[in-house]
Amino acid sequence: MGPLVVNEIISENTNLLLAFFIGIAFGFVLEQGGFSSSRKLAGVFYGYDAVVLKVFFTGAITAMLGLLFLSLFGWIDLGLVYVNETFIWSAIIGGVIMGAGFIMGGYCPGTSFCGAAIGKIDAMIFIVGLFLGVFIFAEGYPLWEGLYKAGFMGSPRISEFFNISEGLFALFVVIAAVLMFWGAEWAEKKFPREEY
Amino acid sequence: MNMKQITLSPRMTLTAVLLLLAVIIAAVPKNTTTPYKLSATQILDELKSGTQYLEPEQIAQMLVEKDPYLQLIDIRSLNEFEKFSLQGAVNIPLDNLLSPDFVETFDQDTKINVFYGNGTTQANEAWMLLRQLGYKNIYVLRGGLNYWAEAILNPTAPPSTSPNDDLARYDFRRGAGQALGGGEMSSTASKPAAGAKAKVPGPAPAGKKKKVAGGCS
Repeated sequence: MGPLVVNEIISENTNLLLAFFIGIAFGFVLEQGGFSSSRKLAGVFYGYDAVVLKVFFTGAITAMLGLLFLSLFGWIDLGLVYVNETFIWSAIIGGVIMGAGFIMGGYCPGTSFCGAAIGKIDAMIFIVGLFLGVFIFAEGYPLWEGLYKAGFMGSPRISEFFNISEGLFALFVVIAAVLMFWGAEWAEKKFPREEY
Repeated sequence: MNMKQITLSPRMTLTAVLLLLAVIIAAVPKNTTTPYKLSATQILDELKSGTQYLEPEQIAQMLVEKDPYLQLIDIRSLNEFEKFSLQGAVNIPLDNLLSPDFVETFDQDTKINVFYGNGTTQANEAWMLLRQLGYKNIYVLRGGLNYWAEAILNPTAPPSTSPNDDLARYDFRRGAGQALGGGEMSSTASKPAAGAKAKVPGPAPAGKKKKVAGGCS
């Protein structure tokens, strides 16, 4: 029963090896999906191409439904699945910085490597900026340590916050995702771009 | 009737399948076939293997790093707690352990509750009771405050011929002890090592969740 590492069905090293292969496959699919083009990625902000929204929400609801069904069948213990901890201020401020960088640079961290891998120069410059940011954050850490660790909330879940079951929350997310898919396709027709 | 007329477009098919799966998962009750409960044998096994213990070095490092997951619980009486306690500890005397006030402290799977007393007897009693009730993330500080004072606050230097591991551990303990306000502060202006670099010896806590990388694609 999963999770495989926590229950010591596979070792930490096997886990890393699997992650390596999954990572390569992920990068390949990402590139094939057009995620190495900053114009295609930025399209989500202008409405002419919503592939980013579609891909991320497809990923989210696939994983969500998959985990809930695996849990239903008793194949995975959701209590042991690691949930990233929430530091509310870090999340908000980091999200704003990340979003601004995404709009300006046309990439997010993963896709910039995708673009660099096929020789896109703008992606390479984006990576330089990424490391610059990492360096500034690390060197200035004492300055923002307080803010970085403020608002610790543990690992809260939205379903717990609204006191509804995980399954019901999943249903709402799926409905929202489907509505967004339809809305996105409508927007693509409404704001078309000839070539990008 | 022409078959083409009732063929669904891919997006309609996708929508239908997703909604169907979501309705199913919303309608079924949460799987509770594997409730978390330990038998006496399992507790005895844990007790024998000593997985409930966290080393003073691990706790010291978490204190220095202000690890938000750490929740120290002082099992001694209020009187003793007021005289001396570890940084950030809360006082839950053994007598009040099962008071409903503290259920929220124990019944969660975020923080790591670490019990300590002067020795380990009371902390182990609390650990056994709470494990029996099925609470997770309950640990005991190895050696209690007595060993803490010996290991962290006033560590004794090993002979200079000791293996490197022992010397590193001593350096870590001295740094951590100074950072946590114990021991004698050295008069030299040398920066307290704070020990953060030193590798903490001892096994990783068995129950602590593994950190995995996450984030954007």
